[in-house]
Amino acid sequence: MPPSIDLLQGTLDLLILQTLALEPMHGWGMAQRIQQLSKDVLQIGQGSLYPALHRLEYKGWIESEWHTTENNRRAKYYRLTQTGKTQLVTELATWDRLSLAIASVLGRVTETSS
Amino acid sequence: MISELLTRLRFLILRKRHREFDDEIEFHLNEAIKSKIEDGLEPVEARRQALIEFGGIELTREQCERQRPGWWIGTVIQDVRYAFRGFGRNPLFTISVLITLALGIGSTTAVFSVVDLILFRPLPYAEPSRIVSLGFVHPLERQEFVMGRFYEEWQTYQTPFSALAAQSTGVHHCDLIENEPTQRSCISFQSTFLPLFGISPALGRNFLPEEDRANGPRVMMVSYGLWRGHYDADPHILNRMIDVDGNPVRIVGVLPKDFEFPTLEAADVVFPLALNPAVQQTVNGGFGESMRLFARLKPGVSVAQAFAQMQPLFNGDLKWFPPSAKSETRLSIRTLRDRQMQESRLVAWVLFCFVLAVLLIACANVSGLMMARGAGRQRELAVRSAIGASRGRLTRQALTETLVLSSAGGLAGLAVAQALVLVFVHLAPAGIPFISKAHLDLRIGVFAALISCLCAVIVGIATALQKPKLAALNAKTSMSRHHAFSRRVLVTTQIAVSIVLLSGAALLIRSFMKIEEQNLGMRTDRALTVEVTVPQLRYNTNQKVMDLYLRLESSLRRLPGTRAVAVTDSTPPGGWQDGFRFSDLHVEGKPPTPAGTGGTVVGRFVTPDYFRALNIQIFRGRNFADQDRTQQQREVILSRSLAERLFPGEDPVGKRFLDTAVSGAGAVVIGVADNVKNSGLTEESNPEMYTLRRSVSGDWSGDHLMLIVDSAMPTAMLQPWVRSEVSAIDRTIPLRMEPLNASLRRLADRPRFEATLLGFFALTGLVLSIVGLYGLIAYMTAQRAQEIGLRMALGATQSNILRLIANDGLRMVLVGSAVGLGIALVTSHVLKTMLFQVSIYDPLTYILIPLLLSSVALVAILIPAHAATRVDPAITLRAE
Repeated sequence: MPPSIDLLQGTLDLLILQTLALEPMHGWGMAQRIQQLSKDVLQIGQGSLYPALHRLEYKGWIESEWHTTENNRRAKYYRLTQTGKTQLVTELATWDRLSLAIASVLGRVTETSS
Repeated sequence: MISELLTRLRFLILRKRHREFDDEIEFHLNEAIKSKIEDGLEPVEARRQALIEFGGIELTREQCERQRPGWWIGTVIQDVRYAFRGFGRNPLFTISVLITLALGIGSTTAVFSVVDLILFRPLPYAEPSRIVSLGFVHPLERQEFVMGRFYEEWQTYQTPFSALAAQSTGVHHCDLIENEPTQRSCISFQSTFLPLFGISPALGRNFLPEEDRANGPRVMMVSYGLWRGHYDADPHILNRMIDVDGNPVRIVGVLPKDFEFPTLEAADVVFPLALNPAVQQTVNGGFGESMRLFARLKPGVSVAQAFAQMQPLFNGDLKWFPPSAKSETRLSIRTLRDRQMQESRLVAWVLFCFVLAVLLIACANVSGLMMARGAGRQRELAVRSAIGASRGRLTRQALTETLVLSSAGGLAGLAVAQALVLVFVHLAPAGIPFISKAHLDLRIGVFAALISCLCAVIVGIATALQKPKLAALNAKTSMSRHHAFSRRVLVTTQIAVSIVLLSGAALLIRSFMKIEEQNLGMRTDRALTVEVTVPQLRYNTNQKVMDLYLRLESSLRRLPGTRAVAVTDSTPPGGWQDGFRFSDLHVEGKPPTPAGTGGTVVGRFVTPDYFRALNIQIFRGRNFADQDRTQQQREVILSRSLAERLFPGEDPVGKRFLDTAVSGAGAVVIGVADNVKNSGLTEESNPEMYTLRRSVSGDWSGDHLMLIVDSAMPTAMLQPWVRSEVSAIDRTIPLRMEPLNASLRRLADRPRFEATLLGFFALTGLVLSIVGLYGLIAYMTAQRAQEIGLRMALGATQSNILRLIANDGLRMVLVGSAVGLGIALVTSHVLKTMLFQVSIYDPLTYILIPLLLSSVALVAILIPAHAATRVDPAITLRAE
């Protein structure tokens, strides 16, 4: 397994928003999903995940609700708000610009910007 | 955006419950454990690993909590509460800081508010720094003036000024006659006057050039006060014709509300100056009328350059002057501010320095107190740091504490300042410009509060920033060497500054006492001065004026208890009085005195009772007698100093002045009177010549006339009688009465004000320094309690301990006093011109002040030192 990479400042917010764009999810699920999708490269420490969730909630980009899971347990589900959706679009655009810029500086042109 | 704001607000008010967070984390952990068990781990091991992976739960909770908007408000409240608890535990410290801040900020702000008006107030004119007052000055008139004849030339040939404008010298009375006549103070200026100062009338217009011309249309402007008060702010006042002194005059304008004459005179009515060049060549011996002249410097021209450019014109003018005046007359150009401030400037600066010194002491005190507190709290800080408080948190805590303390002190200071300003305004003599307008200036209050609080904050944070040493956790005496040394230096400085302040104040107080005690050469306690304002319209000849005064004199003489009633043109020791040059006196049979030498002689034109009314002793010869008033011969009485100068070693009685002498022509000396203080209370007296005012109409010209009544009756009873006697003669004459003592007290107002203020600040400084000294000794004694206990256990006596503690304090007092005395001796020459008959090296002051300070300081040292000797070794040693 390649070593996990420290997340850039602000990237975590983007990842959370992107993950929630698909469906409402609880904290544990998000951590698992991101780890899975990144093929274990990105491991989210809970120490930073929950403060980030709270911060986004205070900003009004996401909102939370208690639901029961399929295993009949109570969990706190997070969902994108309307502001969150617009924010995601902006953040994605910013990310694209940033990664393209970095790639150009490094002299490589990637076909996809992940 | 709005919804985001609302969310923020909602969360600000409704804090999330702790439970919710716990549930969320619990769910997360359970899921993690479950997945680890599915991976085949033992439940116990799975739980352990999940917990490790998660990291600190409390830390996460803390970090989530910090995401909440407004999270910091909670910590601030916490800090403030903690600060208050700390203050409550240590009331002595808290009260000391509060008193120090209140006194320091209060006195600084109050004095700044007053001094600001004098030193830094912007004058209410356009570009006031470019406006100058210019003209001649000579020893009899120290304010610039110019004569009409020369002004004509100056206007034509001057180069440094973009505009010139003249104003009549002083106000005169004029009668406004409408339904009922009222007497007003009137003044004249040129049509260029208002534009030069950048002022436009509140209503109507300025004088037109054709109105400012001899025999031009009669017009006038009125003051805002007169317009509001007398004409009920009538908007249709323009073009109204008013009868002034018997002539109809048209009102063309109203001056702005806050208009100030550059001479700070108060006038209700302004006429155009209307200079007539032809007349100016003839009146006043061909010199023309005297005027006040103001000018605006051209851009880029300095006062010194203007002076140099005007010098040739002035030299040309000098040729016309009589030889006596030539050597004494100078050209003077100074900025308007300099003219207005006169000698107030020095007082203001001295006051300002005093206050800065007090502020310095206050800052030193606060710093010392904060330092002591910081040192005393090292242990507490070390504990808090050890259980996880970050450096930033500790600093924030210290900052909160000092800010709470500082703002409380600042508020108290502003209250003190407001009280002080009221006291100042109440105490202030009339001579200090603008002081009645002084009010608490909040900008200044904030400035003072900032400065002293800055001291507190810097020292407070500096102590908090020091990395708490682990050693402090178990240390018993935590005051470091460094702290002790800095505090000693602070206290020594305070004592030195106090010495400087105290000796300055003591010099002024001694000078004030000398002024009060001096022998004036007369008795003023029974004399009442009565000034009547004679309406010029009805008393238009000298004969009528004389008849009025003679009737007044005889009717006042008939009042019960009256011992003497005199008519004079002025009273000593201050205020307006007539004068002439010594060299103008020419004694028969003696060579004339060289022109321009010998200085000034005061001249008074009196009736015979003058010397009895003021109880002035006649040395030689005799007093004027009532029968002398009707004879042809002009008689004079000389003051002793004048007699000694004119007739050294001779008997002056019977000597005569030449008929051609400029002053005292043809008069014969009939007596010599004692010297009377006649140039104010503090100036060197001038020689004086009293001329008999005969009952001849020619002796009754001039505006300045007053009566002096010497009565056995108390003045309160006398005044209504005088009033009814005067109105029995002429009901419409306004009169003003004042015991001579009251005007005397007014002359002493200024030194009294200076001495009171500076004395107050010196005392404030002293109190603060003593508080500082006491605080330090008490603190060090407490710090050394264990050492003292140990010494006592080993056999030290109480007096040993007393000496140990007291020595420390006395050394600071001695060093501080010595340094302070040195500085005081050097700086006191600034006060030189403010002192009266007191040397700036007055030995009494420089002996008494250190003694006073040392004895107060000794008490401040002995109290805590004595407490130290009560230490019970058994208790302090066990405290380890």
